[in-house]
Parts: sequence; C-alpha cells; structure tokens
Amino acid sequence: MRVGDIAVGRSGDKGSTLDLTLVAGDEESYRLIERSVTESAASAALAKAMPGTVTRYAIPGLRALKFVIVGALPGGVYASLHAGLHWQKAAIAVLLDLPVDASAPKD
Amino acid sequence: MVERSRTVRTIGCGAGFAGDRVDPAVAIAASGLADAVALECLAERTLVPGLRARKSDPAAGADPRLRRRLKPLLPAAGANGCRVISNLGAANPAAAVRQIAALAGEIGCKACVAGVVGDDVLTKKDQIDWQTPITGQLLGAHAYLGCEPIVEAIARGADIVVTGRTADSALFSAEVVPILNNHPNALAGATTVGHLLECSGQITGGNFNPIGKAALSAADYAQLGFPLATVHPDGSAEIFLLDGKPGIVDVLNCTLQLLYEVHDPSSYVTPDVIIDFTGVTFEQVGPNRVRVAGARSRGRPARLKVSGFVDMPGFIADAEIGFAGIGATHRGELAADALRMRLRDIPEEDIRVDLVGVNSILGDAAIASSAPPAEVRVHVSARCADAEMAQIVEDEVIALTLSGPAGGGSIRSERRPRLDVVDGFIDRDLVATELVWESLP
Repeated sequence: MRVGDIAVGRSGDKGSTLDLTLVAGDEESYRLIERSVTESAASAALAKAMPGTVTRYAIPGLRALKFVIVGALPGGVYASLHAGLHWQKAAIAVLLDLPVDASAPKD
Repeated sequence: MVERSRTVRTIGCGAGFAGDRVDPAVAIAASGLADAVALECLAERTLVPGLRARKSDPAAGADPRLRRRLKPLLPAAGANGCRVISNLGAANPAAAVRQIAALAGEIGCKACVAGVVGDDVLTKKDQIDWQTPITGQLLGAHAYLGCEPIVEAIARGADIVVTGRTADSALFSAEVVPILNNHPNALAGATTVGHLLECSGQITGGNFNPIGKAALSAADYAQLGFPLATVHPDGSAEIFLLDGKPGIVDVLNCTLQLLYEVHDPSSYVTPDVIIDFTGVTFEQVGPNRVRVAGARSRGRPARLKVSGFVDMPGFIADAEIGFAGIGATHRGELAADALRMRLRDIPEEDIRVDLVGVNSILGDAAIASSAPPAEVRVHVSARCADAEMAQIVEDEVIALTLSGPAGGGSIRSERRPRLDVVDGFIDRDLVATELVWESLP
C-alpha cells in the first residue's frame, strides 16, 4: 500500500518555501500516515529532489499532515532550472508514492 | 433576478490565476445567486511585465487580459446585480479603471467603477524590512493590501472594484464584511472562505484525486464549475457548485485547499487577520456542498507583506531535444552526457540536464519505471549571463541533431528573463491607499 491509496495530497509554494499537504480519507488512514510519513521519512524522500529542512505539522482534527521546507526553491519559482515552470506543483508525488507500514501497532 | 438574502452574502470565484478560464465567471454571474464574483488574476508573472510596460507608457500596466475577461462578464454581472471584484489592475489599477469604464460604455453596461491605489511602495523601499538582500535592480515593490479599501469602495456604491496587489482572500472577504458580526472570528471565517475559493477549480475537483468515488472525466475537467460560498454573519459558510456544473466539492478537497500554500496551520497570516486553522471543521451537507466553520482569529498583523521584484541580468535558457523508439532512453542519456561535456564551462549550480519522461520533475526522487518510456526528451536549463550565452546553450542542443546520437528531433527552447522575488515587511501605517472612480450614468 502507498500513501496515495489512503490519502490525497497537493503541493504549493510561497517564495522559496515548498509546502506539501496530505489528507487521509478516514481516521484509520490518518493513524497509518501519521506513523508512516514521519518527519524523517519525508525528509529522506524529499532530500533527493530538493535542498532544505522538512518541518512536519500534524493537524489531527483535519486528519491532515503538513510538510514545509524553507529554502527548497532557491531564488523562488522563477529561478528554477527545471524544465518549464512550477515543477513544485508535481512534487507531491514523492509523498504519495511512499509506502505505508500497515503493520504498525495500533494505539 | 433571483431574490437574494440580506442576512448572508454569496460570493463566487471567477478566476484563480491570470490565465484562468473566462466562462466559469460568466456562469456564476448569470446564475443570479452571487452578490459578487471575485477574480484573482495577479501573479508575479503578470505584475512584472506590467511594471516594465508602465515605464515607457504611463497608461499601461493593467492586466492585458482585462478586456477578454470582462467583455463577456460585465453584461451578465450587470443584469444580475453581481458585483465584480478583481486584482486585474496589476501594475496600474487607475488605468484599469479607465479601461473598464470605456469597455462598459462601449457594450452599454451601466457601472460605477472604483480602483484601489496604494499597493505600490517602491518609493518607500528603504523603510521595508527585506528578508534577503537585494542584489539586482529593484523593478517594483508591492504591499499586499487587505480588504478595507474594497469594503469602502463597496460602501460608496462601486459595482466593479479593481485593485493591484491585494491579498487574494481579501477580494472575497470584502463583499462579506458588511454583514459580519463583531466577533473577531467572523472576519477570520470570511477570510478563510476567501482563501478556500481563491484557487478556483482546485476546490471543485481540479488537481484532486478522490478516494472512494469516481474520478472526474475529461469532459468534467473541460467544463469544471468554479466554487461559490454563502457566508453567514459568524463567518461560517457553505461552499458549493452551481447546479448542473461538473465537479467535486467534498471534505477532502476542501481540507487540501484550506492547507494549500499554508505554512504553520495555527498561524496563517493575511493583511486583515492572522488565522488559526487547526479548529476548522468541514461537513458534507449536500451533494457538492460543504459547510465550513471554526476558523479563529489571532489578531491583526502590525506589518504588511511586500513582494520586491528584482531584475537580474541575463536569462534562463530552457531547451529540449527528443528521442523515440527502442533504445530512446539510452540514446537520450548519451545525448545528455554529451551536452554536459559541451557545456562544462557553466558552473554546476547554474545548469541542470535531465530526461523528460524519466527524472526531469523529481530528479533523484523519481521512482524508475520497469518499462522504459517510448519517448524521452533531453532537457537542459542554464542560467546565462547574457543573450549570447543563452544562444550557445540553445545551439548546443540543436547541434545534437547532426553530431549526437541517432534520431534526435522535436527540438524546442524558451528563454526566460531572470527575476528574483524578494519578500519584505512594511509597517501598515506607511501604506496609504486611496480610491479612484469612473462612473457611468
């Protein structure tokens, strides 16, 4: 199972900061992604695509996880050397394709 | 005309970026359900060409798509008592007011047009707390205004309000402010609704993969409805689609949009209010209808955000050459390596070479496909000091057709001016706004 099977996601930017959001489809799915997509798991995956340090915010009331990477887009979106503009809107694929550890113990 | 309530306000989103579709705004105005349609059309890529145009022609600098967008919209809005609020003024809101008045006269629409001036703070550049040093030529500096000047324009009878740089959410909340109660959370709620609506189709099923329900069809995406919201005096609201318009409004995409381009969810800073989103609740109350409540105010920020636009010398050259058929990836990799050798004088941090179809978006984070792609494109982007260097990069890509691996073709290139967007903050008291008017009898 991958994160995208049980959660939706979207990425965006402000200045040089990239932000990624995951929202789980139900409580059980939220518990799974909350345990699987830790700050360090997200950092390890995202570090292959961009610089910067990942900060995770958990918002259990919204069943959502928020990942913010200051300095991921050096110089802002118009300074990017990617093909075309706004590659960062596709960056959410990194998190959606992460595996979910469904064997993690329940609370 | 549909009889509308005096105790709630209904606002629609007519555009979520400069080049957004024109027809959804017309549908919202024509429905008779909306007190106002707000069009968010201003990005750096719109503002900067406007700033450049204004340098040589003081009457230039408004959004060049203004006419295309408003010509079909104004008659529908006028006939249904639907106000039009937009940041189409771009780098020159006063000029936009004159252009809109002229257009309204030409197509026989009676309209009182107001413009908000004052976001341009370039003359106060030394009083701005810049977050990073400015290394190139500062082309412009624009503060994100709040809803107050728009609220004043509405109170004084404007049918159309056009601004320059204004917080996206303020274009929406301004219409609602007159009915809000005095609790600070009411403004937080109305501003949250603006934030939810400001990206048009992103809250009605665009850029969204639903879980547990059918995905939208190509025809649905082609005709996607844009969102509306009916806002109550306490700032709570229902987000919805017009009947018959394709799309999905559900709790999941509302939640995604709430957190979109937000950093700390307990402290989302807008010019009017700092909002805590962590207590927001969404509830599906009908088909494609979601109720939102629970945004909390954390006060008003003392300073306004400023975007500084810095012209950097040179260009980014962005060019590609394609390869097709069996072995396309191998030939593409050879071409990429050859290109790196040819362009080795460009510092590593100023050049990127990759394969479209393999790793051009996610780089090393891309997960390799077990089946090789049928086609790949070799892409190079390089930061170039001048036009001559950009030409060399583009020519090296074309040279691969004659001197590179077999079957290279389908070449394209673009050359982008270099632009740095620098954030800063300015004391609210230093930003003075005023309204400019054109009224048709």
